[in-house]
Amino acid sequence: MARYIGKRIIYMVITLALIATFTFFLMKILPGSPIASADKLSPEQRAVVEARYGLDRPLPVQYFDYMFGLLQGDLGVSINQFKGADVTDVILSRMGPSAQIGFQGMVLGTVLGILLGMVAALRQNTWVDYSSTVVAIIGISIPSFVFASMLQYSLGLKLGWFPVALWKDGFMSSVLPSIALAMFPLATAARFIRTEMIEVLGSDYITLAKAKGASGAEIAFKHAFRNALIPLITVLGPMAVAILTGSLVVEQIFAIPGIGEQFVKSIMVSDFSIIMGTTIFFSVFLILVILIVDILYGIIDPRIRLSGGKG
Amino acid sequence: MKNSKLFWLLGLVLVLSIFLAACGGGEETDGGTETPDSSETDTSNTDDGGDDSASTEGGEPDAEQVLNLVEGAEIPSMDSAIAEDSVAFNILNNVNEGLFRLNEENIAVPALAESEPEISEDGLTYTFKLRDANWSNGTPITAQDFVFAWQRALDPEVGSPYGPYMMAGTIKGAKEVSEGADPSELGVVAEDEKTLVVTLERPTPYFMSLMAFGTFYPQNEEFVTEKGDDYASNSDNLLYNGPFVLTNWDGTGLTWTMEKNEEYWDAETVTLETINVDVVKETSTALNLYQSGEKDRVGLSGEFAMQYADDPEVVKELEPTLFYLKFNQERNGEETPLANENIRKAISMAFNKQDLVDVVLANGSLPANYLVPTEFTFSEDGEDFREINGDLTGFDATKAQEFWQTGLEEIGQTEVTLELLGGDSELAGKMDAYLKEQLETNLEGLTVNLKAVPFGVRLELDEAQDYDIQNSGWGPDYQDPMTFIDLFVTGASHNLMSYSNEEFDSLVEQAKGELAQDPAARWEAMAEAERILIEEDAAIAPIYQRAVMALQKPYVNGIVSHPFGGDYSYKWAYISGKE
Amino acid sequence: MTQNYDNLPQGSFDRITRDTEKAERISKPSVSFWQDAWRRLKKNKGAIFSLILFGLIVIMALLGPVISPYSPNSQTITHANLPPKIPVIENLGIFDGVGTLGGKEVDLYEMKNVEQNYWFGTDGLGRDMFSRVWKGTQVSLFIAFAAAAIDMLIGVIYGGISGYFGGRVDDIMQRIVEILTGIPNLVVVILFIMIMDPGILAIIIALTITGWTGMSRVVRGQVLKYKSQEFVLAARTLGATDGRIIWKHLMPNVLGVIIINTMFTIPGAIFFEAFLSFIGLGLQAPDASLGTLINDGYKLIQYQPHIIAIPAFVLSLIMIAFNLIGDGLRDALDPKMKD
Repeated sequence: MARYIGKRIIYMVITLALIATFTFFLMKILPGSPIASADKLSPEQRAVVEARYGLDRPLPVQYFDYMFGLLQGDLGVSINQFKGADVTDVILSRMGPSAQIGFQGMVLGTVLGILLGMVAALRQNTWVDYSSTVVAIIGISIPSFVFASMLQYSLGLKLGWFPVALWKDGFMSSVLPSIALAMFPLATAARFIRTEMIEVLGSDYITLAKAKGASGAEIAFKHAFRNALIPLITVLGPMAVAILTGSLVVEQIFAIPGIGEQFVKSIMVSDFSIIMGTTIFFSVFLILVILIVDILYGIIDPRIRLSGGKG
Repeated sequence: MKNSKLFWLLGLVLVLSIFLAACGGGEETDGGTETPDSSETDTSNTDDGGDDSASTEGGEPDAEQVLNLVEGAEIPSMDSAIAEDSVAFNILNNVNEGLFRLNEENIAVPALAESEPEISEDGLTYTFKLRDANWSNGTPITAQDFVFAWQRALDPEVGSPYGPYMMAGTIKGAKEVSEGADPSELGVVAEDEKTLVVTLERPTPYFMSLMAFGTFYPQNEEFVTEKGDDYASNSDNLLYNGPFVLTNWDGTGLTWTMEKNEEYWDAETVTLETINVDVVKETSTALNLYQSGEKDRVGLSGEFAMQYADDPEVVKELEPTLFYLKFNQERNGEETPLANENIRKAISMAFNKQDLVDVVLANGSLPANYLVPTEFTFSEDGEDFREINGDLTGFDATKAQEFWQTGLEEIGQTEVTLELLGGDSELAGKMDAYLKEQLETNLEGLTVNLKAVPFGVRLELDEAQDYDIQNSGWGPDYQDPMTFIDLFVTGASHNLMSYSNEEFDSLVEQAKGELAQDPAARWEAMAEAERILIEEDAAIAPIYQRAVMALQKPYVNGIVSHPFGGDYSYKWAYISGKE
Repeated sequence: MTQNYDNLPQGSFDRITRDTEKAERISKPSVSFWQDAWRRLKKNKGAIFSLILFGLIVIMALLGPVISPYSPNSQTITHANLPPKIPVIENLGIFDGVGTLGGKEVDLYEMKNVEQNYWFGTDGLGRDMFSRVWKGTQVSLFIAFAAAAIDMLIGVIYGGISGYFGGRVDDIMQRIVEILTGIPNLVVVILFIMIMDPGILAIIIALTITGWTGMSRVVRGQVLKYKSQEFVLAARTLGATDGRIIWKHLMPNVLGVIIINTMFTIPGAIFFEAFLSFIGLGLQAPDASLGTLINDGYKLIQYQPHIIAIPAFVLSLIMIAFNLIGDGLRDALDPKMKD
């Protein structure tokens, strides 16, 4: 196991280096100048500003410089979004709210989704089942920005249960954004668990358990649920990606000082160092999630050989 | 498993009902807001530079003096030398102050300067006496603070976008200093603690209004040097000398507060205690915050304008910001069809501006047939510069078609395809779609391809002259028609469309040089230049002069909007009648 | 009852002889895998309903802009922001051209002196929503199908090769996939759209640039599973080439999974396109897709619900249809689900 994890971490570092390289050169062909109001700067000033951010040096030099900095955990300095601010500081200061709503959304969605899926499977083809299906449909058929603004309008403005927007009232502020983010994991988990549970409930060992006189609850939780849960881990990766994407939208609509909202802005103003830094940050997050999922899978289901392909 | 599938349909019904619920709720609220059957307010010209109806009706300040506002973007930098965007200039205008400040009538009046300066005969030397005023940390503001700030703004190492841009050609030695000469060559001297002498390159009739601009604010040398790289990185690493001080700003956040500055020399005028600002990028979110009572004033964009047109809480302000189509005459070293004067004239007459401002913008903007905005600059007898030339072009489909045919013959083509470069905002997209449709309908054989890009990309394409037509906008940097007119001088940094007319250039040169001391002749020269640019050459096609529409709670009084520099002053604002 | 046997009339029973020939006969018609799948799919009402529904949507997407008297991009600025009005149905109190303005209910058609009927209303520039919605559906479906087809092509080839050859080839190819999945697709898509000239093509390329990895994983897994089975060994023993084994023997077995995966890729692509519209990187005006239409409308949900409701409804229908068809196909193609 330790050897496997070690190997994976080495791969991770290589992957990250390649991603950084890829993004770096992609960034260089991106149109747009990172120096805002370049039209007002004189050629002399421009040269000075470019020199300050090292934009005047040959590309390979810039590249190795960046990679070297990256090794030391230095992501550079924002060029125009927050002039002169350390990219690491920007990311750190924006990470908190994103992490909070992302985590809450994920947990809320997954837990509710599992419950819904379970109930639906146990009460197959009853109204319980149908209503859980309905919820799952809403989760996948309304774009998150529409859903988020409807939540804001109904629960925030009309009913006044939660703050309309802004990041001021601690946990209360995070409720609506979390619900908006929870929809996708909820729908995914509910559908997934339902299908898996129905399959498991029909399998021989459940019949055996029934034959041995196990109670309904015992069967549902001890046998069916546990086995249905395992495959769910495989969709945690895609869910994390969806949360990441969703955060861009949800943070903007609820005016939350998060990293997604900030990322969209940095693209619009071509702030190369922030785009690079945020991309690398997102990648680290994603790769870690994938790694954790793989490790968890190995722990929970001993049938999977970790060293082999994931087939 | 299978039967349940039919109940996906049920889901659909629910989805629908959510929509309906949302809509139904909407009607309810709208009904709830009582809309007195007031006669329609004249949308076009009620604005008097921020003197909006709401502020004149207001009573005495009585409630808690807290104002809650939204802003559309973060602060990129609070260093007055580096600042370049409207958010930063707006805050600077409220937490700092220069020699002059725009008052409630938008006239530049002495602020840190004790009185009007002494001006030499030739109009080249200004001597300012400073009043006794302190920085927010208690240090007195001295003439040296101005010398330091201005020299710093010109230092190439600092990379100030507005420093050389505003000072070069105006203040003596500014160009040389910005190119690396010794800072002491700058024509700004602190004669003593409280006396500042400024020497100009040439007489500048609008110099006083420049002094209200953020780049000309003082900076305390000791403080700036002590903080080094950390200067202006958050609200603690800044010094203030204006009506308010900035607090709670961490440098990258979406929220900040302005609190009354007790050290301010005119603190007794300031009524507001606290201004809470949050960045909200979605108009619909801002509107919801307004309706829930968390915010006191929010801007309304075009799509919301129609719904609130008759709302008593609506405030409309005409801004001196002009939007126009730039015609690029030379792209990648080759002449474009737009190098032909008739083609340009045809395009500039081929779209209906009235419909555009009425339906697409719907916020009180005016159709523009000119370059220098209306209600922006006034002669000494109070005559609007606009009155000299009036309209210089206008929508006329028939005439446009005539010009178009002549132009096509001249360039020997029957079909022309042009690219229209525009911004990536929703409004820009809508407007460009409208222009495309209008131009293609009114000019036979014209195909317009739209290209919407983020602002940074647009600047780059502009600079490379890599576009055909560009939807561009310009707001003034100081209160003089010249801020618009000299944009189009041959080789100017904003020209970037290969427009060149010797007569135009020489008129601008005259207005800047020999006529500077003769206001009437100077205005004539500028007016003639404007006429040549638009009526004769159709170098650009004006579209509209922007107005902004906002919802403002009735208890908010005295917010003053400004035509240039910072957008608003809260110095005179107060809350009255809030429960 | 036994005692009554003798009372039975003669001829009630025939003597039959055991026929060894007939014992081998298959009494039911022989069905291929696909016929069987189709039979099972037909029993699934939800899936069939969705297929029909989807067919209708496609027909409308193609015909809609043609039926409408107005073209999707032509503007009648004086007719801006009209609510839907459909003759006959208007008498029921819906789609009657009444909308809210400044908080009051008014017949906007009467107010603006509009004689024509706009079935789905008009948008802020006076463009007919009916033709725009269907044109937008067309564009959205095109983007989704193109993206799914490219994903499928690259994914199947890549996954097939990787899984079939295994060993070092597989190792290297999987490392590449790992890197690609490590970059958030969101970032890649955004960067690519910014580099290319914005438009349909840019969106399709951006969507597919990392999108195929999912398909390749699935295909690789299936190929790995099947390639060691006996029928492949038999084919190989009989001298079949690699190409023949892949195409004739492996692919038919993997096809089901590919189809199911594609069915879930399509709604994903439509959704992502809507998301791109939200962050301002969608289609260029004046082109419309369901994403741009919804994005234009969601802010006005309190005032002009028709601008968002109709495209959102069509989007939901498509999403639901694809998910149901996908579910149905999975049940039909997955022998485990046989009932």
